[in-house]
Amino acid sequence: MATRYLILEDGTSYKGKAFGSQATTTGEIVVNSNMLGYQEIITNQIYHNQIITFTQPSIGNTGINHKSFESIITNAKGIIVREYSNISTNRLGNLTLDRFLKQHNIPGIAGIDTRELTHRIRRNKSMKASIVDVNDEHAFDQLNAAVLTNQQVKQVSTKAPFPNTGDGYNIILIDFGLKYGILRRLAELDCNVIVMPWNTSSKEIMDLDPDGVILSTGPGSPNDLPESVLNMIRETQEKLPMFAMGLGHELFALANGAETYKLKVEHHGSNHPIRQIITNQIIYASQSQGYAVDPKSIKHDQLLITFIDLVNGTVQGIRHRDFPSFSVQFSPDGGPGPEDTVDLFEEFLENVSSQRR
Amino acid sequence: MSKVVVDKMAMQRALTRITYEIIEKNKGVNNLVILGIKTRGVYLAKRIANRLQKLENKEVPVVQLDITKYRDDVKHTADDPKVADDDKISLDNRNVILVDDVLFTGRTIKSAFSAISELGRPDNIRLAVLIDRGHRELPIRADFVGKNIPTSRTEKIKVQVNEIDGKDSVEIIDK
Repeated sequence: MATRYLILEDGTSYKGKAFGSQATTTGEIVVNSNMLGYQEIITNQIYHNQIITFTQPSIGNTGINHKSFESIITNAKGIIVREYSNISTNRLGNLTLDRFLKQHNIPGIAGIDTRELTHRIRRNKSMKASIVDVNDEHAFDQLNAAVLTNQQVKQVSTKAPFPNTGDGYNIILIDFGLKYGILRRLAELDCNVIVMPWNTSSKEIMDLDPDGVILSTGPGSPNDLPESVLNMIRETQEKLPMFAMGLGHELFALANGAETYKLKVEHHGSNHPIRQIITNQIIYASQSQGYAVDPKSIKHDQLLITFIDLVNGTVQGIRHRDFPSFSVQFSPDGGPGPEDTVDLFEEFLENVSSQRR
Repeated sequence: MSKVVVDKMAMQRALTRITYEIIEKNKGVNNLVILGIKTRGVYLAKRIANRLQKLENKEVPVVQLDITKYRDDVKHTADDPKVADDDKISLDNRNVILVDDVLFTGRTIKSAFSAISELGRPDNIRLAVLIDRGHRELPIRADFVGKNIPTSRTEKIKVQVNEIDGKDSVEIIDK
């Protein structure tokens, strides 16, 4: 494995060994503390523009399999690991992570002290980073000059609607950076799903005579999307049960008068206990967030807070007071990670069936 | 032969959804009184009140309703139990949520209306049931339904709640 360097915006340089693609890459560096599920993480479109650091020290040991893709096109800019495992054992397939990354032109770097790196990232604000061949002044100049796009949703969202057929309820799924786990859960519940682009209007939704609407997770800041998206949410929630997650949740909050803020450090992991307020139950979920809904901005006559993160106090779920619409910050589909929250899809369908009576 | 149709998680979810729907319909919890029909309706009523309290930070009164006095299928005696466990409660101008476990013929609910009239004149009464099994004999329908379970008349629905039965479940028993 060739020697390569990870360089950070604050001037730090780490020496490591290359795997995957040998391309030079630049992105925002984030830390993911999940113990498992690297394939779901790498293929999740929320990592568009981002280089993912894994705190789990050995990555690659379960290869890549056909059941764990969260998207077809992988948008992550690179991955950083303590140790890349060359030996992978998995009955589902024989593609290695190294080969997969080469196919998708994603560079990886191994042999990095990810514990030290994680501390550094968490001390700083969000930083850009590059994986490069040479860590000279020129490379740092390039890194500092790099401007990351804020048009991520436009880039990852589907350009045209497509169906995922079933015999049950007719569900519209708005794609802000669709995670296939959502489709899997809806397929299990036999829903007839139509996936639509991020800029779909409420009229286009209603014309398809749906029973409910889901707003998907996605990359980037909710404030980078135009007002028309918020209008779509406002108009649709009056007519149909709605379930929003991740970026969709942040947009749902904005549409209902709340505000969002950028977290000092993005949170990616599944180790935070989350309290469901109505039952006092503690759950764990696959969390990936760079933004959060500001609890002080929530208008109590419009929204109810339903879930709270017990480690950092962030709002993890809200619900509309007047309509059967709710949203969660985490990824309820459980890909990867705890499946405590999969029930929420059934809760959504119960809202749907309750409205249809 | 029996079959579990609602397990612990599904029951929790149903009560949670009913709670949210009550907030939606009632525009909050102001002026609300929850009446639980004895026996299991009382426990479901308490759970709903508990959820409302957690969401809204306001105590919602729960009253136990005993409809024995107004049942049309038993002989009445002078010592029929009182209709409410709380003597002082007045339902005048309140928003009442009536809670029962199973909605079947509708006769229990009719008796409950009679019992309620002893306690005052509410602004409105809404009905929440965990299970709607069909076969109504009176023009009554529920506003909040946990789960619709189509049944045949010969089947029996058995609701168990943790507080007295040691577990949460709903079973269909085929006689």
